[in-house]
This record gives sequence, structure tokens and C-alpha cells, in this order.
Amino acid sequence: MKFDVVIIGGGLAGMTAASALQGAGFRCAVISEGLSLHNVQAGGFKAAGGTMLAGDRVIGGSFDGDRLKEVSTEKLSGIPIEADNFILATGKYFSKGIVADMDKVYEPLFGLDVDFDPDRSTWFSQSFAAPQRFLQFGVKAEDGRALRGGRQVVNLFPAGEVLAGISGAQGDATESIRRSALDAVSAIRNK
Amino acid sequence: MPANNEFDVIIIGGGITGAGTARDCSMRGLRVLLIERHDIATGATGRNHGLLHSGARYAVKDSESAEECIRENKILRSIAANCVEDTGGLFITLPEDEEAGFGLDYQKVFIEACIKAGIEAKAISPEEAKIMEPSVNPSLIGAVVVPDGSVDPFRLCSANVTDAVMHGAKVLTYTEFTDFIKEGDAIVGVKVTDTRSGEAAEYRAPVTVNAAGIWGHAVAEKAGVRISMYPAKGALLVFGHRVNNVVINRCRKSADGDILVPGDTVTVIGTTSTKIPFEECDNMEVTPDEVNLLLREGCALCPSLADTRILRAYAGVRPLVADDSDPSGRSISRGIVCLDHESRDGVKGFVSITGGKLMTYRLMAELATDAVCRKLGVRQACATATTPLPGSADGRIEAVSKRFPGKPSAGQKGAAGRQGDLVGKIRFDTEADKRLVCECENVTLAEIKYAVKELGVKNLEDLRRRTRVGMGTCQGTLCIRKAAKALAEALGDPSLAEKLAADYLDERWKGMRAVGWGDTLREMEFMQRVYKFEKPYSYDEV
Repeated sequence: MKFDVVIIGGGLAGMTAASALQGAGFRCAVISEGLSLHNVQAGGFKAAGGTMLAGDRVIGGSFDGDRLKEVSTEKLSGIPIEADNFILATGKYFSKGIVADMDKVYEPLFGLDVDFDPDRSTWFSQSFAAPQRFLQFGVKAEDGRALRGGRQVVNLFPAGEVLAGISGAQGDATESIRRSALDAVSAIRNK
Repeated sequence: MPANNEFDVIIIGGGITGAGTARDCSMRGLRVLLIERHDIATGATGRNHGLLHSGARYAVKDSESAEECIRENKILRSIAANCVEDTGGLFITLPEDEEAGFGLDYQKVFIEACIKAGIEAKAISPEEAKIMEPSVNPSLIGAVVVPDGSVDPFRLCSANVTDAVMHGAKVLTYTEFTDFIKEGDAIVGVKVTDTRSGEAAEYRAPVTVNAAGIWGHAVAEKAGVRISMYPAKGALLVFGHRVNNVVINRCRKSADGDILVPGDTVTVIGTTSTKIPFEECDNMEVTPDEVNLLLREGCALCPSLADTRILRAYAGVRPLVADDSDPSGRSISRGIVCLDHESRDGVKGFVSITGGKLMTYRLMAELATDAVCRKLGVRQACATATTPLPGSADGRIEAVSKRFPGKPSAGQKGAAGRQGDLVGKIRFDTEADKRLVCECENVTLAEIKYAVKELGVKNLEDLRRRTRVGMGTCQGTLCIRKAAKALAEALGDPSLAEKLAADYLDERWKGMRAVGWGDTLREMEFMQRVYKFEKPYSYDEV
């Protein structure tokens, strides 16, 4: 199975990017673990010819040098999904886009570099209503590309809350989530 | 008629010891005032395992404590049926215990000591233990069944306070002791401050009882007497569901993190023991080292804890007392200490009751009340060992079927489980009254109204201690705004809602921070997302 762009995650960031890219003539697939909360967008995306792999989950991928070559999913075992470009829109802790252990925060699918403080005592404010540092942790990016072992993965573009510095848990982050998704779209279109 | 600020006895401290003493004194006909600077059960009373000890833990080393425990265990089962659960307990031997010299030979010593103390203890095979408690570490090599159980300390404390009030006692929460009123070498009363309004007041009584737990150290100092106390912090972790149905202990010399207790909908592992400075007693944080230790030891008892979400961490302070006869202060007793300061220090009208355990609170209260009665020349026998507490006169199930013939709702069953035979006082008049506010613990609007009217609830923490609101798996994430609104209205001031919710969330947050990783961190992010405090919702939306 081969696509121009595979979008991992069907939330606000993933569907925003998928709709824009499909509309621009890219052949896209969205792999979405849950039922997309953005059904209106998903409807438009499918009507434009996009592929929704709903209820499936990416479990890993294989790299070819500094490129992500393909991803494998839980349900389509033995059928890797290839693409020229990938968008990672898996969200933060709740959706397990990033995962916190007692002493580290990591990105579970590809082992991407994550911006976090190893000293857990700095993660939280005393007051519930105050800004919380752990909400700012996330995948590191450079020129819109994810970093892995300090090097850019040239065709993997993180978008939305999986990124360091973006969280919708406090205040309204809709605009920054959409912006990061559209930035990923521009980066792919300008390649 | 005496003035309304005069009593026979004033009790300082609304923990289980003070509450039990208030009950005992009032049942013996005394006019009682109980003062507490926070809410009832806020100190060590509400910060322990909730273990109904059989006494087996103390059998080998401290037979006196063991005998006290099993006696009180049996008494609590009969007078506080609505507060205890007969889960049974296991003392397991693991292969590593054998290597450390606590193998099956020690098990024999343990069983003999239990039986000598009057505790039924019977060895069973590892296979039988696994059937009795499927979550137990399957590598165990031996197990002993003992009559452990679980006890809800909030409910127990509240029932004692309720009974004291029914017997005419006056209970003032959020009232802080500031100093004694002295006449010569006698204590004749106390000065207090209402911690919410800031107003000062004075109350007089010929006897004052210091039942302030670890804070009793400071209370005694105000009377000019010294009690050598050792604040021993104990940390515990609460897991997101009821992993085990039987209390699991380690059959070895008592150590940290070796008791796993099922209580209501959750499981608790504990505890540690660390001496801390008195200044830290009011604001304890559970450290990463304590969390690591509790997790490691917990997993040895029950391996599935490794994959179970931790709801929160908390810590209490044991009010341990050094033996008066040991000037070095090294000989620390875990037993009951009842001090008549007239014979000990020459201060009249002052009694301290401290040391002891949640398990032996009733006995402590009896000893303190005996001392008070001696001073007042009152000859009335103690009846607390045979008189059921409010809520416990009928069994829970009977109370439900009597009160709600037909098909009780989840909220009505929950209320009957918590409030016992007092559930009849809860008015389910309207459809709104029957509606659930807290869906983890099945708490209705009606029960909240009852708690405000009858149980002295002032804020959401108090409400949690009376009804378990917000105590379940969501830790208030999905119910606290509803509960805050309901409570604020019941208190007669709807504008309080936002402050009530914010204070409650800060307290939950504190307990979650210590274990903020994995699924707990996911819950914390979710909680932030629900409340989005940078842009608070209007309460009108609820």
C-alpha cells in the first residue's frame, strides 16, 4: 500500500492537514485509532478521495537512512504502508502520542527526540490552576521535521499537540494546533 | 443554668481519639466541647491504611499491642458494623523471606504468638492462598489466614462525632486552640480562634483533654508540660481499583510497604516510617524514594500492581511517644499513652491521650474518659464497647431494604452503604435529589444536602470525608464542578462554588503530583483539559 502522504492521528491536527493535502491533489491516508472527533472534516476528506483507516493503530515503522520508509499497523499485519511523507499527529499523553515513565518522556512509535526535563519535580506547579510544565513537553522539530537521535527525519512532520510547546489542556490551543498542521502541509507542498 | 461557654470537659482534637473521647464522655453524662482546627479526621486518622488490624502484625514482638488489637477488632466488628469490612487477611511468606531468615520456621513462631495473643491464625497452602486471593504473588511458599479487615476511618470518626452530638456534645470544627486559661496550677479552659472568621472565643471546663495527635506536643507545651513525641511520617499509595479482596501482609519482621489493604473501591499500599521535624507535619509531600519503595514492596505482595494506575499518594504522621522512664528518648512505644498531668507534672485539670493506633481508639477514649471522670468524681461505667455507633445498629443491607422497598437506585444503595441505618434521614424528595453527582462513588444530591445539614460539612474536602465524593477513579475530574455547585447552594451561598472547586482540585493535584507519570499523568492531563483553568467555565452552564 503506497500513498503520497500518510497522516498518523485523526484529531484536529491530523484532519486539518489531511483535508488540505488531499484537496491539493496528494493521495492521502489517515490512520486514526479512535473515532475521529472531526467527522465533518473526515467526511470532506473521504469525499475528496482520501483513505480513512479508522480504528487502526500504528505500531512502528522502518527507516531508510534519514527517511521514514513505511509504517505498520496493528490490524494490517504484514502489509506495510509506504508514503513519500508522513505527518505525526498523535497528540500528547492522553492519546499516548508521548508517554511518561517515572524518569523519562518518550515518543513510542519511532523513538523521536522529546523535549522534556528529566527532573520530575519540575513537571508540576503546586496549584492545579497554574501553568504546568509537563504540558509543554513534546517531540522536537527542526525545519518542521521531527528529530531522531539529533538528526532530522526528512519526511516526517509532527503537527499538533505531539509537538513540544503546544497543549490544548490549558487555555484554547485550537489556533496553534491548526497552524502547526498547515505548516506541515506547506512544508510538504514546498518540498 | 450554666453559661453556654461552660462545659464539664473540653477535648482538643477531632481525630478518631478526640471523637471517641467525646462520645465516651457524653455517654457518661458529661457536658462536652470538642474543638478541631480543621475538619474531623484530617490528621493521622484519615491518613493511614484503613486496616482493621487483627493484631497479628504485633504478635511476635509486642504481645500487649496484639492483644489490644484483637480485642478492639472484635468490638469494632460489633459496634461499628457499617464502618468495617470483614475481608480476612493473609500473611504470606516469599522465597526471599526464607533467605532473610523469615521462612516457614518463622511462620511457626508467628502462628504460636498469634494464638497466644488470642488471634485465630491458621496456616494454609500456597494453592489455597491463591484461591482465597487470586492477586497474591504466585511465588509464595506459605500463608497464614488471620482475622484482618478494613475500616473506613472517615466514617468511623464521623459516627463517633455524630453519637457525641446526639448525646449533647458541642462540636466546633475550624476552631483552633490558641492557649489555655489557667488559674494557679490548674487549667480551667481554652482560648480558641475560628479559623474561617478569625473571631476569638473562650470556653471553660474543669478538665481539658489533649487528643491532638502529633500536634498534642505543642498543645502540652502551652500547658507548660513536656511530652517527648516523635513525628513518624508514613507514606501510602492508592491504586485505581480494588486489586485484592483480602488484606495481604508479609510474614516477617515488620518493615516498610508490607501491607496491602482493599478499601471500598480502591487498594492501598503502605507504609513507610521516617522521623520528620515538627514543622513538616502540616504539609507533607511524598518523596520519589518513598514512592519507589512502596511500589517495589507492593509488587512483591501483588505483582499486578505494576500495571495498575496509581490514583494518588498521601502521608500521615504517627504520634509516637518516647517512654518517660528513658531519658535518651530512644525507647519509643507504639502503645497507648494516657497522662494525668496532675500526678505527672503538677498541672491540674489536664489529661493527654496519645500514642496508640486507629484500631485502639475506643480503648484510648475509655482510658481518657476514666481519667476525666476520676477528676470530676463521676462514677459511670464505660458503655462504648457494647453500644453500636449511629449507622451501625442495623446491617447495611437491612437498612437499604427497609428504607427503599422495591428497587433502590445506585445512589440510594451507595448512601445506605456509607450512612448505614442513618440513611433514613436522607430525603429523596425530588427527582433532582436522586440524581448522581459523583458517579464513581454513587453520591446523590440528597446525600450532599444531608451531609451539609447533619454532618457539619463546610467544604468539598469535608464532603469527601463524609460521602466519598470525588474519591473514586476520576479523582473529581468529572464531578467536582457539579459537587461544588450543589454544596455551595446547600451552604446557602452559590458564589462559593468556584473557590470550593479550586481548593479541592489543588488538594487532589497534590496527591497526584507525587505519582505523576504513566496513566496517572494521562489522567492529570485530562483533568487539566476538562477544567482549562486559564479560561474558566461559567457555573451557570452546569
